Amino acid sequence: MEISFIHPSIGFLVLALLVPFVPKDLWLNKAFRGTLAIVAPLIALASVLTMVPDTSFMVIPYLDQALELGRVDKLSIIFGQVFAIIAVIGTIYGMHVEDKGHYICGSLYVAGGFGCVFAGDLLTVFLFWELMSIGSTFLIWQARTKESVGAGFRYFVYHTVGGLFLLAGLLLKYKATGSFAFIGVNPADAMFYDWLILIGFCVNAAVVPLHAWLPDAYPRASIAGAVFMCAFTTKTAVYVLMRGFAGWEILGIAGTCMALFGVFYACIENNARRILSYHIVSQVGYMVAGIGIGTAMTLNGATAHAYAHILYKGLLFMGTGAILYSVGTVKLDKLGGLVYKLPWVFVLYMIAALSISGMPLFNGFISKTMTIAGAANAHHTWLALGMEIAAVGTFISVGIKLPYFAFWGGKKEYVGEVKPLPVNMYVGMGICGLLCIAQGVYPEMLYRYLPYAMETAYHPWTADKVINSSLLLGFSGLAFYLTRKIIVPHAKLNLDFDYFYRLIGRVTMGAVCWPVSKIDDVWTEVYRTVGLKALIQAGDGTSVFDKKGIDTVVDGSAYTVRNIGRVGAKVQTANLQDYLAYATVLGLGIFALVWYFG
Amino acid sequence: MSQNGLGGLLAKWRDNWKTWRIIFFVVLGVMLVLNKFIYSYHGHFWDLDTIPGFFAVFGLVVGLAMVIIMKKIVQPFIARKEDYYGD
Repeated sequence: MEISFIHPSIGFLVLALLVPFVPKDLWLNKAFRGTLAIVAPLIALASVLTMVPDTSFMVIPYLDQALELGRVDKLSIIFGQVFAIIAVIGTIYGMHVEDKGHYICGSLYVAGGFGCVFAGDLLTVFLFWELMSIGSTFLIWQARTKESVGAGFRYFVYHTVGGLFLLAGLLLKYKATGSFAFIGVNPADAMFYDWLILIGFCVNAAVVPLHAWLPDAYPRASIAGAVFMCAFTTKTAVYVLMRGFAGWEILGIAGTCMALFGVFYACIENNARRILSYHIVSQVGYMVAGIGIGTAMTLNGATAHAYAHILYKGLLFMGTGAILYSVGTVKLDKLGGLVYKLPWVFVLYMIAALSISGMPLFNGFISKTMTIAGAANAHHTWLALGMEIAAVGTFISVGIKLPYFAFWGGKKEYVGEVKPLPVNMYVGMGICGLLCIAQGVYPEMLYRYLPYAMETAYHPWTADKVINSSLLLGFSGLAFYLTRKIIVPHAKLNLDFDYFYRLIGRVTMGAVCWPVSKIDDVWTEVYRTVGLKALIQAGDGTSVFDKKGIDTVVDGSAYTVRNIGRVGAKVQTANLQDYLAYATVLGLGIFALVWYFG
Repeated sequence: MSQNGLGGLLAKWRDNWKTWRIIFFVVLGVMLVLNKFIYSYHGHFWDLDTIPGFFAVFGLVVGLAMVIIMKKIVQPFIARKEDYYGD
C-alpha cells in the first residue's frame, strides 16, 4: 500500500526561507501576505488529516542510528491535528502584522513543535526542541519593547538550561543503552539519565518551581506571537511527557500542585496576560497530573484537555491581545467599561473564559471533567480534590475577575482612545470560538481521536454531571460576588520563584565579571604607563618610513582591508540577538545538508 | 453597525443589573432544588458529593477562602512595587 507523507514542518520551514526574499511592495499587500502565510498551516492540516496511524516515515541513518522524523500513531496525530488548527487560526489572527520577523520566527517555532510531535527518537526531539526554543525567543523580541528584550534573554537562558538537561540525559542514555529510542520508561526501572530527561521536559511543561519563565515572558511577547506560544511550548512538553513518562506517580502530585499554584497567583495578579499565563501553568497541571496517574482514562483526559486547552487558551490570548492592540495596556487597574467599545471581543473572550472554567456547552467541560473523574476512579481522591479546587479558582479569575474589571466596572473606567481592530483578528477569534462550542456540545468530535482504548466510554453529558458543574461554577460566582470589593486588582508585582533565579543569575554574573574587571583594571594601568609610550615611539619611527613612499604601494590593499573590515563590523554587531540568529541559520543549514546527503 | 448594536444592548443590560442579580439568585436556587433530585449515585470524594448541595457549598467555601486568603494574607507578604526588578 502506498501511503504518502508530507512532514507538517516542511511548509513552515519553506515559508521561513521564502519570506526574506519577498519584494517589499508585494509583501505590504495584505491579501498576498495572508495567502502566502496561510499556505503552510493548511498544508500541515491536510497532511495531518490524511495520516494513517502506526506508520513510520523519513528515517535517516545517522551515527549508526536511525533518526525517525515521521512517527505517526494516534497520539502524534491528535497533537499534530490541534497544532495545525491553532496554526491556521493564529496565522489568520496575525495577518495584519507587517513585520517579516513575525512570520519567520513564528514559522520556525511552529515547525519545531511539529518536529517534536512526529519525532521517533530523542535526538530528533532535541533538534526540534532547540529550534522551538530559538523561534519562541525571537517571537518574544518581536514585541520590540524594552521589557521584552530582557524577558527574551531570561526565557532563552531558562530553555537553554532545560535543553542541556535533555541533551545530557539523552547522551548518557545513548551511552548506557546504545540507542536514542524514545519510548515510555517504566518508573520502576528509572535511571539517572531518565531523570535528567524528565527535568528537561519539565522545564518546558512549566512544572512548579521550574515555571517562572512562563509568567515572565508570555505577557511581554508580541500580540500575535503569544497566540502561537501559548499553544506550542507547554503542549509539546505535555506530549513528550505522555510519550516517555506516563504513570510516573511524582507527575501526578506535581501536576496537582501546578493546578493549584497557578490559580492562587492568578487570583492576585493585575496584568490580564499574566493572569492567563498563570492559568497555563494551572491547566497544564491537569494534563501533567493525568499523565502521572497514567490510566487510559486520565491519559485520554490529559490529551483531550490539551486539545481543548490549545483552542480556548489561544482564544483567551487573542481576546486580551485585542485589548492590548486597541487600548495599549492589559493592566486591569487601568481598564474598565470596555464592553461598549469592544462588545464582540467581550463575547468571544467569554466563550473562551467559560470553556476554561469547564462550563457545560463549552469544551473545557468535556475535557476537564474527564481528567478529574479519571483521577477519582483511579483512587487518587486527593489529587482529584485539588483539581476541583483549582476549577473554582479558574472560574473566579479568568471567568469573572478578568472580564469584570476589564469590560465592566466596579471601579474607574477606561476613557482613552480605542483603536479599531483589523477584521482578520475577529475572523481568527470567531473560528476558535466556534470550535470551542462545537466540541463542548458534540464531544464525539474530539473523543474519536483519543489515543488510548478505555474499558468504558466516558459520557460528560449526563444530568448529574451537568448539575454538579453548574452548581460548582454558580456558587463560585456567588463567592466572587461577595468578595468583589476584596479582589479588586492592585498595580503590584507579586514575587514568584523567579526571584531566586534572578538571584542566581546576578551572583553568577558577579562571579564572572568581578575577576574580569580586576584584570581589566590592571591591564589598563600597565597599558597607560608602558604600552602608550612604546606605541608613540613606534609611531614616530613608522611615520618617517611611511612618508618615504610606501603610501602609494599600500593604499590599494588598505582599501581592501577596510572594506572587509566593514563587512566584518556589520556582522559583529555585538548584539546577542544577531549572533543567535546566525547560529540558527548555520545550524539549520548543516541539518539540511545532513538531511539531504544522509 | 452591529458592533454599536451589541454594545448598546450590553449597556442596556448593565442599567438593569438589579434584575440580572435577581435572575442569578433565582437560577442558583432552582439548581439547588434540582440537585435534590438529580445527583451522582457514585461520588468522587468519599461519596460526600452524593449529598445534594455538596458542589454548591464546595464552590462557595473554596471560592471565599481562596480570595480572602490570597488577597488579604498572602499578597501583603509577596507584593512589591511594579518596577521592583527594574524591567
